[in-house]
Formats: sequence, C-alpha cells, structure tokens
Amino acid sequence: MTMKPILLVEDNPDDELLTLRALKKNHIQNDVVVARDGPEALARLFGDEESGTEAIVPSIVLLDLKLPKIDGIEVLRRIRNDPRTRLVPVVILTSSREEQDLINGYQLGANSYIRKPVDFPEFIQAVRQLGLYWLILNESPPG
Amino acid sequence: MLGKGLPADEASQRGRDGGISLDELLASRELFEGILGIAADAVVSVDQSQRIILFNQGAERIFQYTAAEVLGQPLEVLLPTYARPGHSRQVERFDHSPVPARQMGERSTIRGRRKDGEEFPAEASISRIVVGGRVVFTAILRDVTKTREAEEEINALNADLRRRATQLENANRELEAFSYSVSHDLRAPLRSISGFSQVLFEDYADALDEEGQDYLKRIGDASQRMAQLIDDLLDLSRLSRGEVRRAPVNLSQLAEAVVADLRAAHPERSVEVDIAPGLKAEADPHLVRTVLNNLLGNAWKYTSRKDHARIAFGGTTDSEGQPAFFVRDDGAGFDMAYVDKLFGAFQRLHGMKDFPGTGVGLATVQRIVHKHGGRIWAEGAVDQGATFTFTLQ
Repeated sequence: MTMKPILLVEDNPDDELLTLRALKKNHIQNDVVVARDGPEALARLFGDEESGTEAIVPSIVLLDLKLPKIDGIEVLRRIRNDPRTRLVPVVILTSSREEQDLINGYQLGANSYIRKPVDFPEFIQAVRQLGLYWLILNESPPG
Repeated sequence: MLGKGLPADEASQRGRDGGISLDELLASRELFEGILGIAADAVVSVDQSQRIILFNQGAERIFQYTAAEVLGQPLEVLLPTYARPGHSRQVERFDHSPVPARQMGERSTIRGRRKDGEEFPAEASISRIVVGGRVVFTAILRDVTKTREAEEEINALNADLRRRATQLENANRELEAFSYSVSHDLRAPLRSISGFSQVLFEDYADALDEEGQDYLKRIGDASQRMAQLIDDLLDLSRLSRGEVRRAPVNLSQLAEAVVADLRAAHPERSVEVDIAPGLKAEADPHLVRTVLNNLLGNAWKYTSRKDHARIAFGGTTDSEGQPAFFVRDDGAGFDMAYVDKLFGAFQRLHGMKDFPGTGVGLATVQRIVHKHGGRIWAEGAVDQGATFTFTLQ
C-alpha cells in the first residue's frame, strides 16, 4: 500500500522548513506536498488544468490560517463543501489562538486545531503526536 | 368643574361673613378673570364664526398682541399663513364632531404666529363648550419653543454620542485586528529563532564549544520568554475588551481550587494555606478566578524560598466598611518605596533569576478589579511577606 501524501499549506518558508524537519525527526515517511498560499492549496486538492496540476488525495491537510490571497478558513470551507475532499482530515496548524479562529475552524469542520509552539522541541513533540494520531492510530475515511 | 364633588347644599350655602353663595362665586366674572389672569398658558376663545372673544394675559405674553388688538379679529391672525386653510377645515370637522369636546390632556402640537411674524411650536388642547345655546371654542396653548430647543439639543447630543460610540467601536475593531496581528505575526519570527537555534544545536553541536551551545540555549530561552510576553499582553488586551458578567461567586471555593492546582503542580512544596470559608461576592466568575490565580500564584511563587510557607486568603472591610478580600503570604515581600510600580504592566520588583515572571499578572489583576469598580492595594516589606487587598464593588 502506498502512503498518501501530506498536504502542508504554509506560506512562511521558515515554518515550512521547521515543519518538514519535525516530520522527518519523527520518522513520518509520507511524501509532503507544500502549498504556499490558498489558491495553490486548492489547485493541489482539486487539480488545475491551467497550470497542469493534478489533484492529489492527501492523508491529511496541515493548514495554516493566515495565507496570502485565500485564507485558511476559506480553504477549509471549500474542502468541506466538495465531495472529493469532504472527509479528508484537516488539522489547523497556526500561530493564532484567537477565539474567533478556533470557533470558525471547528464550525467549518476542522478535525484538530493546534497552535504552533514557539519552542522547537515542543513543536517537534506536537508534530510527533499529530503524525502518530492522524497517520497511524486514526483509521482514515474510505476513498 | 370647580364645584364638582361638593355637596349641593354646601355649594349653595352662604358664606359665614354674609358674602355671596358658592354658586354666585363660581359664576362671577372676577373669579373667572382672576384665574385666567394667572394662567401661564395662553387661553384663547372664539365664537362660532372664529372671531376672538377672549384673550388672557398668558396669550398676550405668548402672542405679543394686546387683547384689545385681537378681540373681534379672526383666529387666523394667530396662525402662520400656510396653516390657515388647514385650520379652517379642521374647525369645520370639529364643529360637526359628535364628541362635544376634545378631552383635556389630549394635547397636540401646532404652530403659532406672534405679532412680529415669528412662528413658534405650541402644545394645544381645544374644547367646544356650549353656553346658553352659543358655541365657544377655547384653545389653551403652551409655548414649547424652549422645550423643543432642549429636545433638539438632546437630539444633537445623542447624535454626537452615537458618533462617538461608532468611533469607539471602530477603534476597538482596529485594536482587535492589531491584537490578532500581534498574536500571529510576532510569534512566527520567534518560532524561527527558537527553531533554528535548536537546529544549530542538533546538527552543528560538534562545531560549537560549551560556550557556543550556551549562547544558543539563551537565544532559545529568550524567544520562549518573548512568546510568553506576547501571550500575556494579548490576555491583558482581551481583558479590556471583554465585559464584566456578574454572578454570585464563592471565592473560598475558587481559592481552594486554585490552591489545589498549585499543590498539584508543585507537590514538593510545603505550604500551609488558610482559606476563610464562605467568602462570597457578586462578580464575574471567570475574571475573579484570574484574580485569585494571579494573587495566590504570586504568593506561592514568592514564598518558594521558604521551607515552610504560609499563605492566607480571607475577608475584611475597607476604610468605608465595604467588603474586601486579601491574600497574604510570608514570602519575599517587597519594598514599600516601590509600591506604586507594583501594578504597572511589565514592571518587576524582582530579578528573573530569583523569581521568573513577565510582570503582567498584577496589571491584569488590577484591571479586573477596576473593571468591577473595585480597588486593590498592597502592603509589604522585604522578606516580611506581602498582603494584597481588593474590593469588587
């Protein structure tokens, strides 16, 4: 069985590098596809003929909220509104812990909401648990 | 009307001094004119053909005509030109109305016209009285120019208030956007600083001696501390935005819960905590919990150098006899010379090495107490402990 890739939606290159490192440190073997803004994330999920991007079916979407062009909340809304991606686990991975973001995130059907810790060892720990839970323990929805 | 309610025999009785009877008195012109003369309102009567037949002193004052000038004139001289045709129609309707008189107290606002042509708003009540077969219309008018001006002033003030409220709301929204931005954008670079110093530490440890590694650790710790500062600052600003929702709060129970958390977090500490039972207040439960978290947390922290510490939470009264609450400890205390710095945000009276903290706790406590309309004050001495007393009204 081939492992489905992880879709990491992250506009900050430092955070991208650190997240990739944290995934590697935790021996998470899945391919990681990185989208650096909202439209890119949507193109990865639903395909885009113009740029010749093929749709992927990720095992999990790690979604930052504050993104250029189309923000994370809107990306989440479209993921949940489309039958192709409705069941994909989405973990919000963000700096914010503003109540409104939490409410919006959960209301739109986020599976988890994780605030990125500033402390890197803590961050690695968070990514470890996240990977353990969503990629190993949790039985993915069929399809 | 005046005689209403008086027994008939009393009404017809002659006065003891042999004067006129009450009936005669009530029918007398002197009484009638005397009463009309002192009335502050304008009293104007017209006959069936709308000619003015009565014009009291109040009417002279308000309309600036003398009675002699208007008696026998059509009522319309007292109305603005544009209102005259409408008035005639109304009179006609009123004349044919089956209701004999408009109820007193059922006032309507009309426009009057003074002798010099100035218009003014007046509250008027009108009656139709038939005396000996002759119909008399009487209007009692009150000049409400001043009332109207006052109302307009109030309206203008209200409009101004609404404008200010909108401005405040906008300012608040901007503040919220700012907080959001702080929460998100300031943390991201910190994560990079912390993250990459850790990466250096992990991947390039061989290239760094112990000193170099210590510097890296300091960078990581500092970014961690700044992250905490940002969070505390955000909490403080969130506090200012929120409302106080009062409910009955059992402060003693709350204090017990806070202390239980502290004991669980520091099982190695030996602290004797004395909480007075049954302390209650009307306050925001969530905010009061933050107050006790901070005050008891501080007491816990600043007694950490003692083998056996004592902390007390109790009730007292302030100088005005209002209920007050205190948290007392026998820890590091503080120099009263710096007492006014105690509640400022980011003010610290102790070095980080001795007692770590961001200096936001007491600022938060003070803000909560002030939001409740209460006061907080502190007493202490170096190494003699500290007492924080607050009210919630």
